[in-house]
Amino acid sequence: MSPFALVFGTALLSPLISHTRWLKGLSLLILAIAGFNLSLGEGIGLTYFAQTDAIRFFEGIILIVAAAIVLHFDHDDHGTLTQLLLIVAASMALLESSTLLSFVITFEAMSIISFVLVSNIKDSKQAEGAIKLFFTGATATGIILFGLALFTLSGHSIDTALGNDYDAFSLIALSLIFIGILYKLTIFPMHAWAADSYAQVSHSNAAILSALMKTVVAVATFHLFSPVLAQLSMPSIYGLATLAVITMTLGNMLALYQRNIARMLAYSSIAHAGYMLIPFAAIASQFAHIGLLYLAVAYLFMQTAVFLILARLYQDDGIETLADLKGLAQRNPLYALLFSVQLLSLAGIPLLAGFMSKAVAFYAGVDAGLWLFVLIALLNSALSVGYYAWIIKQLYFDAPTKDRPLVSRLGFVLGELILVAGTLYFGVVAIDVFKVIGGN
Amino acid sequence: MTYATLIFAPIALAFVGYALFSQRGNVVRGIALTTFALQFIVAIGLYNQLPATGYLDLGAFLSVDAFHFALSLRVDTLSVVMLLLSTMLLILVTLSSWTMEKSAAYFSLLIGFSGAIMGVFMTTNLLWFFIFWELTLLPMFFLVGIWGGEQRVYAAIKFFLYTHVASMLLLLALFLIYKQTGVWDVTLIKEAAIATPALVWWLLFIGFAVKMPLFPFHTWLPDAHVQAPAPVSALLAGVLLKMGAYGLIRFVIELMPEVSREHALYMLTLGLLTAFFAGLLAIYEQHLKKMVAYSSISHMGLVMVALSTVTVEGLSAALFEMVGHAFIISPLFLIAGMIYHQTGSYQMRDMGGMMQKAPYLSAIFVLAGMAALGMPATMGFVGELTVYLSAIAHYGAWVAIIALLSMLSAGYLIWSMRRVIYGELSPLMRNSQFVIHRIEFAALVVFGLLIVLFGVYPQPIFDAANHSFAYFGGRS
Repeated sequence: MSPFALVFGTALLSPLISHTRWLKGLSLLILAIAGFNLSLGEGIGLTYFAQTDAIRFFEGIILIVAAAIVLHFDHDDHGTLTQLLLIVAASMALLESSTLLSFVITFEAMSIISFVLVSNIKDSKQAEGAIKLFFTGATATGIILFGLALFTLSGHSIDTALGNDYDAFSLIALSLIFIGILYKLTIFPMHAWAADSYAQVSHSNAAILSALMKTVVAVATFHLFSPVLAQLSMPSIYGLATLAVITMTLGNMLALYQRNIARMLAYSSIAHAGYMLIPFAAIASQFAHIGLLYLAVAYLFMQTAVFLILARLYQDDGIETLADLKGLAQRNPLYALLFSVQLLSLAGIPLLAGFMSKAVAFYAGVDAGLWLFVLIALLNSALSVGYYAWIIKQLYFDAPTKDRPLVSRLGFVLGELILVAGTLYFGVVAIDVFKVIGGN
Repeated sequence: MTYATLIFAPIALAFVGYALFSQRGNVVRGIALTTFALQFIVAIGLYNQLPATGYLDLGAFLSVDAFHFALSLRVDTLSVVMLLLSTMLLILVTLSSWTMEKSAAYFSLLIGFSGAIMGVFMTTNLLWFFIFWELTLLPMFFLVGIWGGEQRVYAAIKFFLYTHVASMLLLLALFLIYKQTGVWDVTLIKEAAIATPALVWWLLFIGFAVKMPLFPFHTWLPDAHVQAPAPVSALLAGVLLKMGAYGLIRFVIELMPEVSREHALYMLTLGLLTAFFAGLLAIYEQHLKKMVAYSSISHMGLVMVALSTVTVEGLSAALFEMVGHAFIISPLFLIAGMIYHQTGSYQMRDMGGMMQKAPYLSAIFVLAGMAALGMPATMGFVGELTVYLSAIAHYGAWVAIIALLSMLSAGYLIWSMRRVIYGELSPLMRNSQFVIHRIEFAALVVFGLLIVLFGVYPQPIFDAANHSFAYFGGRS
């Protein structure tokens, strides 16, 4: 049975057992079976869908991360669990889409599930975040569909894979679709909604939105659009690279000024979207594809981990601002260590996935002749240490303001250990990512 | 056992050791000492296995063929000398931190640091070198930030950010080298294959110069060294600054001797500026530890002057001065830290008459201070003399003006001894006890012995230097 069908079917049937305590265990079991089937090479297997080694590898990573998120959930979180399974299924479909038609349909499906995900509103702040997500999502959909209409108008069919010989008119149409997608990737100037949404929806939802969905959209888009990107003229490439560096600079600069941790991480997520755009611009390099995949894998592990930790800290201790974090290392050394490792990885410190992925992706930029842009990206990455180290300063260098120790939760710690294992493994061993792209 | 274990085992051990013995610092201290001793023994073993010329191949790990990327471990005499120096310093620093508080975490960080430092000196793969190079920042960041003085957070974050930003230039240079030559391994790169040599050279040079540190990139150092606890200051000066100098030798001068010769005057100018500027600041300084820090910068300026000649003599002199600097500056930092611990002050104007309260400690301070200003029969004399000679031989007699530097250092060191060690017993000193743990004192004695030993018998270091740079003249 295909992993997609397994996960999708479980999600649909999950309301039947939602009143029992079994759903969490069942989800983990299904994710494991799906992972096993995936390793046998099973894809969706329908027309318009195709699976490559790289996609299969990334789907495997998604299943692992999804398992970590499931472990984090409390037993009564059934609604969110179902949404998560649906998003995982939609992600697989989006990643395997080989035509514009299937891409747009699954992209929309994923957006709609994300709207449902954030609609579990508990206060007015979450409502604001959800509404912003919804409106920008709707705008993006409008732009994508308009681009799609123009594309068909230019005489191309939308149920074949994208080629590399388009006239100016169809390129404009494709660019419109691409711009619509950039909304989801939070690229400047389509980034403004993200900081509010990620910071205001519940933190575990933010983990799903800012880590899982963003990386899936990035990888799927690269997969589908790379023939078109390769056709772009040098000025367009420079334009793309400029958007990348503006996005990361803006994200990092604004993150420096935040007092609220979720908001800081939201801006850091925008900065990372900028890093992810570098391989898009570096399409001329043979390492662009590997670079993007590596960035996505690394980012998926670290970003999910930090937002889940934040969710746990908020739920158990009401921690929201930097000042609330003071002395966490003394109250719960394990949480502080897990948090720091992932933050350092986000900051691009070596022996962690964050560094290795940036090294490959930025090298792709140098390889494609964009070394000045890469220099800005590198300096950005170095400057981002300013706020990540500031969080770590609160954790380790300051005395705690509360005496109450923080008890570790088993499921959550297990999930975090999975994520930190990923961050460490892909920080040291690069071969796996290179292997799936071919050429090694 | 593979040699990669030497690097990764300590890093893993740092976490495991802390997790198991977080309440029992003495155990972690024992683990740390054992680890460093083992590393030292392995380094001696490597020294004996070195071939007559070139590198000793220790294998390649984690290969990614499509990216020509592998943790290839190759050592030559230079790297083994650095390994010996670093592990020896780590042992002495551990002894000097015998009574450190929160010791489990402290020694775990030292263990982790030792793994990274082994990696820095053992790998010839540019990207892996960079990985370990950056990794050394992390333990230092925590060591300064947790155990440091009043301004520790500011100093730690400034140190981390400053050196990390500079490293990005380095990384870009490494990217450009790989793009232009198609290999990451420094031993396989031909200078002629680098298409934009000047750009690469400057990026590399600035990246390493910040670590060294050279004027005008030295401003992170006084903060970090002053705020760090004394043993960590010794480690910063003895190992971290050496990494900068090692990087300059291996990845700038040995990699691109021709381009380096073209830029020799820039290097010389920056070296002289660093030496004189830091020397002048040291004279002005009232703060004992800051004075030692500026003296440290000034000596690294001398190393740069020797390196700028790009000759075998210059490189040998630089290597000797590097080793000497590590053994001389470390006890000065340690004693400054002890004085602060006992009196609660770093201000030299409040001190005086320490000789009457703590004669042995004072004697070692005087010995190290005299070595720093180049007294014969100490390492400082041999180091400075060879640096001056190599520079004069290469540039001509006018470079003899650097001998003024000896006067400058005599100025600040002798004056500081007058203010701290001799003179009347100040009230501050009178009220202090100067109780020093005997193991911490023993570490100082070892430093003193090393300073005299290599001052009288410098041959082993010059043998190693000749061995390191023997092929240098021939290859270029």
